[in-house]
Parts: sequence; structure tokens; C-alpha cells
Amino acid sequence: MNAAIIFTLLLVLMLTGMPISISLGLTVLTFLFGFTEVPLESVALKLFTGIEKFEIMAIPFFILAGNFLTHGGVARRMINFASSMVGHWYGGLGLAGVLGCALFAAVSGSSPATVVAIGSILLPAMTRAGFPKSFGAGVITTSGALGILIPPSIVMVMYSVATNTSVGALFMAGVVPGLALASVLGGVTWYRARKFNYPRLPKATWGERLAAFRASAWGLLLIVIVMGGIYSGLFTPTEAAAMSAVYAFFVAVFVYKDMKLKDVPRVLLNSANMSAMLLYIITNAVLFSFIMTNENIPQALADWMLGNGLGMVTFLLAVNVILLLAGNFMEPSSIVLIFAPILFPVAMKLGIDPVHFGIIMVVNMEVGMCHPPVGLNLYVASGITKMGITELTVAVWPWLLSMLAFLGVVTYWPALSTWFPRMLGVM
Amino acid sequence: MKFFDHLEEWLVTFLMGAATLIIFVAVVHRYAAGMAIPGLQDWLLSLNMTWAQELTIIMFVWMAKFGAAYGVRTGIHVGVDVLINRMGDAMRGKFIVLGLCAGALFTAIVATLGAAFVWENGAHYFFANLFGVAAEGTFEGPTTPDLEWPTWIVYSAIPLGTSLMCFRFLQVMVNFLKTGELPHHDHGHVEGLEEEAVPLDNNPYAMNDNLHPHDLDGKKGGKP
Repeated sequence: MNAAIIFTLLLVLMLTGMPISISLGLTVLTFLFGFTEVPLESVALKLFTGIEKFEIMAIPFFILAGNFLTHGGVARRMINFASSMVGHWYGGLGLAGVLGCALFAAVSGSSPATVVAIGSILLPAMTRAGFPKSFGAGVITTSGALGILIPPSIVMVMYSVATNTSVGALFMAGVVPGLALASVLGGVTWYRARKFNYPRLPKATWGERLAAFRASAWGLLLIVIVMGGIYSGLFTPTEAAAMSAVYAFFVAVFVYKDMKLKDVPRVLLNSANMSAMLLYIITNAVLFSFIMTNENIPQALADWMLGNGLGMVTFLLAVNVILLLAGNFMEPSSIVLIFAPILFPVAMKLGIDPVHFGIIMVVNMEVGMCHPPVGLNLYVASGITKMGITELTVAVWPWLLSMLAFLGVVTYWPALSTWFPRMLGVM
Repeated sequence: MKFFDHLEEWLVTFLMGAATLIIFVAVVHRYAAGMAIPGLQDWLLSLNMTWAQELTIIMFVWMAKFGAAYGVRTGIHVGVDVLINRMGDAMRGKFIVLGLCAGALFTAIVATLGAAFVWENGAHYFFANLFGVAAEGTFEGPTTPDLEWPTWIVYSAIPLGTSLMCFRFLQVMVNFLKTGELPHHDHGHVEGLEEEAVPLDNNPYAMNDNLHPHDLDGKKGGKP
């Protein structure tokens, strides 16, 4: 009964279009005030302790690093390197786009940022090279989604905050599915390019490849710093994020010199703006999950599932459907923060691996980012290409369908996610 | 007012940059102190950097609270606007005002709760002592573990930042009622195909999507 009240209240408040953070907070206050004896002081305490975790601070750091990388010429050099490697195959620049997104995803934690960084450079180049606009937009919109699957990833940090799963293990677990999804998207690109006979680049010599690699090495080194640092235990994930922010600043301003020192405050302010928005959702989502736990809702849901003999297969199917539906209305961070605390305890009871469950959620978020009515990647791509959302939706279909198929594989094949971190011994 | 706006921006920018530097220095210090460089090592070991983590958290809490207020002014807070963006201007206008009122209400409640909490946890004692008034039944309040700063000062980010946020919601509402415009997300748009550089102000979360309500004039908003 209480669960029904909470969810109806939340749904109604959210549908009025007020910020998600506010609707979460008001739901909690109304419920506590009207239906329980929990003293409001405990809410006050939660407000202070909500974001006082060092792990959460990885989010602003990764956002900052991502912004420096986006403006600092790192993306352009990665694209050059990628096109020198794969540009002569079918798909040419399109394939280079997939590889470029994968490389950039390995230094950035956000999907829309990846679309902006790679798309705003590559899409104009593709149009000039004679690709139809829709092909390029389709490739970049979907490949950009790799940003949250290939570590580092802001959504994974959110999941770890909501469920107390190790960020390091999640990051490592994202590597293999991330590479697999990049191959799938690359495969679709290659197939379609061959079918429609799109232009290819002349084959680069090994000397050119080496030169492109050396130019992009500063950016690629960041992959080693973040992943190597976390894996070897040199840094905690938050420290790795801060190191990558400082490193990205250094490379952007002093090595590549694509950004001027006077631009730095703007980048800081922009990153702070976005981080504060996400941190504010976290604060209120922590409150929300507090009343969920207080009302034993996840527990009740788990008992109900087990009592009705619903197993892992049905549960995971339901999870995918719920998350895909939620992807129609909300952006990934909010979805993870609201749904993970509810679904996670059930998953644990059914014996699903916490890290595997996290990867399922992340891949779901990726799909949600690429289709309307709410799809951050889609809107960013539409901003770059000036294509309408409807036109873009048609353009991404081939890749989106393959992503859905990939989601199925990830959901029911846990080893794909858990093999690599197990081998490294981080879980 | 302009000065006030800039002050807010400077504070948020400073906190973001400084927190990053502090963690960077702390990590470098941790490894540099492990290296056997005569002279330097002793000096490094004599520095105590254990407070870095705590200070970063405090700075980020302040950044989050004041940044959230700044975010209201820039219209970055995401919501579920699929439904109201399909409504006519008159209806949507009502819902937008309702949303802004809800924001102001929530932040007002939180600011009050936060102020009471801060008052009871040391601020009362501090101000009573400051003005030499004997305040019976007040206590000094806890301090933070590493820096040993009074927690009420640290936590006053909540009442201060949240009050500012409440003010921003009201400000946006007044402006909306007057002009029918919401804080502009236009600066978030990536420039056209000709321009290859990524504009500095680009912000993926500030697009004209269904995570934010559209303006009333129907020109900027429109159906996606």
C-alpha cells in the first residue's frame, strides 16, 4: 500500500515536468510527513550525509576531464589515428568513427560528451567525403553510447553509489562488453557501407600510422593512467579521475595548445554546472532510497518474486523492459539512481552477480540514449547535423537493432561481463 | 545583482578547480614521499596531507549546493517533460509555473530544516559566545575528523546554498511570468556543420530535448 502511494506520488510529480531531483525530494517529504512517524530530523541528517562519500567525487572529476578532452584537440588526433588504421576498409570514415568513439570512450565517462567530441569533428568530414548525412549520424549517435560502457563511466559510478558495488570491478567488467559492442557496431557499419558502396580512404602507410599514433599518444596514455592506476592500486577510482582531469588540462593547454589558459575558467564552470545537477539528483535519490529501505519495498518485491516462482530469466527480462521503458522518459543517471536500489536487492536474492547486473543496466541506458522521445545522444547529434529527430530516428535503426540484440546477449551471458574482472582478480 | 551572479560563478569555478588541484597534490605527495631523495623526502614526510580528502569532500558539497542554484539560473536541471512539451502553450505554462513553485517550496523546506540543524549543532553556541550572551543548554557542536573544523560551518552550505536555490526558482518564475521564456538552453547548441571546433559552452545536458520544458513562444521549442 505504502509502495503504491510512494510510486503514484513520484510518477505524478515527475510527469508535471518539474526537475527529477525536486520530485524525488517532495515525494520523500510528503510521505514522511503524511504517512510515517519517522522524524524529519533524520531527513536533515541524510541531506548532509547524502553526498559525503569520496567515491561520488569521481563524477565531477570525470566530467571535468571529459570537458578538457573534448575541447583540447584529443578527439581530433584520435580520429586521425583511427582513420589511418581502418579508413581503407569498407565504411572508411564511418568505421573510423566507431573506433574513434571507442578510443574516446576509454578516456571519457559520458556518452553525449563522446558524441559531441567525435561527432562535431567527424560528421562534417564525412559529409564532405560524400557519405549521406544519415549514415554518419547513425554511426556516431550509437557509437557515442560506448562512452558509458567502456570505462571510465559516470553511470557506473552512479550504480556503484546506489548499490555499494566496487567501481574498479565495474570498470574492468565494462572492457570486454565495450569492445564487443564496438565490434558489433563496426560490423553493421562495414556491412551497410559495402552494400551501398560508400567511399573509402586510401590505405595509409605504416609511417603515416606511426605518425598519427604518436600525435594521439598523449590522449591514449590517459587510458593507461586511469585503468592501469586503478587496476594496480596506485589510485582509487576518485583519485584516478582527479589525475585524469589534471592530465587532460595539461595536455589540452600545454601540449596540444588547442585550448587557451583563459578558456579554463569557462570549462571549470561548465563542468561544475553539470556536476552540481547530477550531485543534486544523487542527494535526493539517496533520500528516496532511504524511505524505500525504510518501508522494506525492495524486500517485499523480492519475496513476491520468489513466492511466485519467478526465476532469474523472467526477472532479467522484466528488468530490461522496465529500464527500456524508463529510458523513454528519463536520462540515465536518474534511472540508475531510482531503479538500482529497488531492483538490486531482488537481483541479489536471485543470485545474480552485482557486477553483471550493473553492466546490464549500463547497456540498457545506452539503448535508451539513442531513441526518442528522450535520448541525449540523439539530441546532441541533431544539434550537430541539424537533422530533425524523426529523420535521425530512422537513421539510427540498423545500429539500434543490433544494440538491442547485444543487450540480449549481455543479459543472459554473465561470463561476457564477469570473465575479465575475475581473471584480473578484482572481484 | 550582476555582481552577485558573478560571485556565484566565481565561487563554483574556484571550488571545482581547487578541489581537483588538492587531490592531485595529495596523490603526488603520497608517491613522492615514498621516493628516497635526500632532503626532499624528509621535508615531504613532514607534511601531513591526510586532510586533503576531507577538504575535497567539503568543497564539493559546497560546489554542489551553490552549483545547483546556478543550475536553476542556467536551466540545466533535468525533468520528465515528454508530457508537458506536447501540451498547448497555456497548459504548459501552468505546469511550468507549478514546477517552479514546487522547486521553490522544496528548497524552502530544506533550507529551513538545514538552518535548524546548523543552529542546533553549534551555530547557536558560537553566536551566543560571540555576542557574550549566556546561552543555557547550547553546546559547541561536533568538529570534522581530520581538519577539526566545526561541522556547523561546513554544513551551513545547505541552508545558504539551498536558500539561494529557492531564490533562483522564484527569480526564474517571475521572469517566466513576465516574458514567457525560461533560462536559455540555446547556448548549449553545437554550431553548424561548417564549424569543426567544439564550442566551449557546449553542454550535452542543456539541449532543447524532452528533459527540459520548452519555452512558450513556440518558436524555440516546437515539437522534437
